[in-house]
Amino acid sequence: MSGPGATVLVVEDDDEARAVLVRELGSRGYRTQEAADGRSAMERWEASRPDVILLDLGLPDIDGLEVIRRIRRESQTPIVILSGRFAEREKVEALERGADDYVTKPFGLAELHARLRVALRRAAGPSADRHGRIVVGPLLFDAGRHEVSVDGRAVDLAPREFELLRVLLGEQGRVVTKGKLLRAVWGQAYQGEDSYVYVHVSQLRHKLAAADPAGALRDLIATEPGVGYRVRDAET
Amino acid sequence: MQSAVGSWREGTTALVGRRGAIRLVAVAVPALAAATALVWMLEDRFGVLDASPVYLLAVVVTALVSGTLGALTTAVVGIVLYDYLFAQPVHTLAISDPGEWLSLILLLFVGLVVGQLTALERKRTLTAEAREREARELFLTSRALATRASTTTVLPEIAELLRRSTEVDSLRIALGPNDGSERTAAESGDAAGAGRSALHWQLRRTPGDEPAQWVRIHSPSASRRQEPRQGIDLFRVRIEAGGRPLGSIWASRSRRGGLPDRSATRLLSAAADQIGQALAQDRLAAEAGAAEVARQSDALKSALLQSVSHDLRTPLATIRAAAGTLRPDSDLDSPGRMASAEAIEREVARLDRLVANLLDLGRIEAGELRAEIDVFMLDDLAARTIDRFGSRFAGHSVVTDIPALPVSVDPVFLDEALANLLDNALKFAGPNAAIRIAAAQVGDRVRLTVDDDGQGVPDELLDRVFEKFYRAPAAGAMARPGTGVGLAVVRGLVEAMGGQVEARKSALGGLSVALDLPLAHLPAELATAPTR
Repeated sequence: MSGPGATVLVVEDDDEARAVLVRELGSRGYRTQEAADGRSAMERWEASRPDVILLDLGLPDIDGLEVIRRIRRESQTPIVILSGRFAEREKVEALERGADDYVTKPFGLAELHARLRVALRRAAGPSADRHGRIVVGPLLFDAGRHEVSVDGRAVDLAPREFELLRVLLGEQGRVVTKGKLLRAVWGQAYQGEDSYVYVHVSQLRHKLAAADPAGALRDLIATEPGVGYRVRDAET
Repeated sequence: MQSAVGSWREGTTALVGRRGAIRLVAVAVPALAAATALVWMLEDRFGVLDASPVYLLAVVVTALVSGTLGALTTAVVGIVLYDYLFAQPVHTLAISDPGEWLSLILLLFVGLVVGQLTALERKRTLTAEAREREARELFLTSRALATRASTTTVLPEIAELLRRSTEVDSLRIALGPNDGSERTAAESGDAAGAGRSALHWQLRRTPGDEPAQWVRIHSPSASRRQEPRQGIDLFRVRIEAGGRPLGSIWASRSRRGGLPDRSATRLLSAAADQIGQALAQDRLAAEAGAAEVARQSDALKSALLQSVSHDLRTPLATIRAAAGTLRPDSDLDSPGRMASAEAIEREVARLDRLVANLLDLGRIEAGELRAEIDVFMLDDLAARTIDRFGSRFAGHSVVTDIPALPVSVDPVFLDEALANLLDNALKFAGPNAAIRIAAAQVGDRVRLTVDDDGQGVPDELLDRVFEKFYRAPAAGAMARPGTGVGLAVVRGLVEAMGGQVEARKSALGGLSVALDLPLAHLPAELATAPTR
């Protein structure tokens, strides 16, 4: 189930914040469940199997990371983290453990809805068509032909840049951690050595910008400092 | 364990050891030979009747070199030689002349006196030498302690020094308030004898002038009967300060070495005292440091409250007023409501930045700021921060000139630092301000600068803008907004990344703040980054 009508489990220990979220989500047509701590979150999740979970990491009883671990043992239900400032490491850890995305407090409601929408869509399946083509504005990524073009102009990408773009486009609208990029592009065995992921992405960006004089793709790949990257959601 | 059984005093060294005997023979034989030759010459050639006093020379020479016993031996041998070779009847040992008895007694007496005098003199010299050596080693110990950063760092040096000067096999300095919690802080020499049976000695020191004594300690497990000749002696000197035990010096050597001599004992004792005092000083310094930190922290808190209360209240007042206008019973029109909602969002963003800065400042003060450095292209990172200011730059003339330079930074820190600089430029340069954001490579650094055309800061105050809670005095009548936190945070963040900050007068007329960031060196295949 995607978008309004889906059930959101809101796990947040602050009553005021939870009430605002529940009210806002309800006004947008979501159905909501609430939990103020990790234990009741697990109970609610067992009982009602929501479509998406909004999870605050700082819970009074069980560690938020532990909640993610327990849920991921059994299901792929999308989880969006509500993260405090200065929790970059925790945030990355949550994403590496299987959380889908995050919003940093204080967040705007528009941002929250965008994350929820992407998380629900991701649960519905991949964004490429059956030929493995992905289109974002003037950008055409053709995995089958191993080609990338902007407005019909071919962009010459190095193999690693092509792979990076493939992974990023496959996660449109979602944050992709540096660790995930490393594993997907450099391989599972790649550990510890400096891979210059950010430099490769930077070069990829420069090549796309060079083929895009109109600047339509200017903020296609956004840096999320301390976490990784996010490709602009085509539907936003 | 504390039952003292035996005690030990410095033994008198044997009058003639093996080395002494060799020396005696080396001196006495030539001396006697020379004396005999002289006597023969005097008596046979020059007709001197009794030249036996010549042997006095041999006795004196021997006494000078090998002490009383050597002198007496030489005297006796000299008399026997004279008696046998020269006295009538020649070639017998019989003494017929009472005068020869006199000579013999004289020789013995002179030998005794000179020997004693020489021995005394030699002992004085040796003592003086030992004192000097002791003083030198003590001096080295105190110097090591006096020039230390912390006591524990110089302990290895002291352990090595003590081991060599006290001639033990291994020496260990252990710190801890009691036997159970003592931990080795420094070790010198190899503790090869560790497994062998050990006799334990402890130095008993009394407050007065009485010399310290080694006291045998029996551990309850050790049998009292046997005192194996093999094995090692383990010597312990407690390190104390103000009666509080702080640790021990442990020295060990094989049983044959005997107990440490008086000079070694004094050295160990003095070293233990000095280490004790140094440790006590360290503790005092640490306590004083903690008190100073607490004082500064208090000062920080009050300055913080003073400085921040205004900046917290203003946005809160705006938010409260704007929220009131959004109530259903308010007669505000739709654009008015929109303006209120936007005002709330703007003020929240302002509060958010303030809170972020305060938290950063707290982490900087507590030394908890840890950068996660990675390699980034500066234009990418800066573009993201600048994009976030998008709407706030409306109405300003903003120029950016940031080439694609690889930098080693923490992306979150750089983002916060740059955001603070942009905030500052907007705040102080006023409406319609010109702002320039530029970067260039300078040596192995990348210099990122933010310039504005505002009032700037007087030259003599430029150095102070990075101090926390410092607010440059208003050049005009207009009071300056701000908490004096922003630039302090910028400095803390940049320094945590191994960079530097600098404030100057801008070519635009206002303030120019530069961040010097470490340039990253890319591998060759990546170094051909396209420039724009």
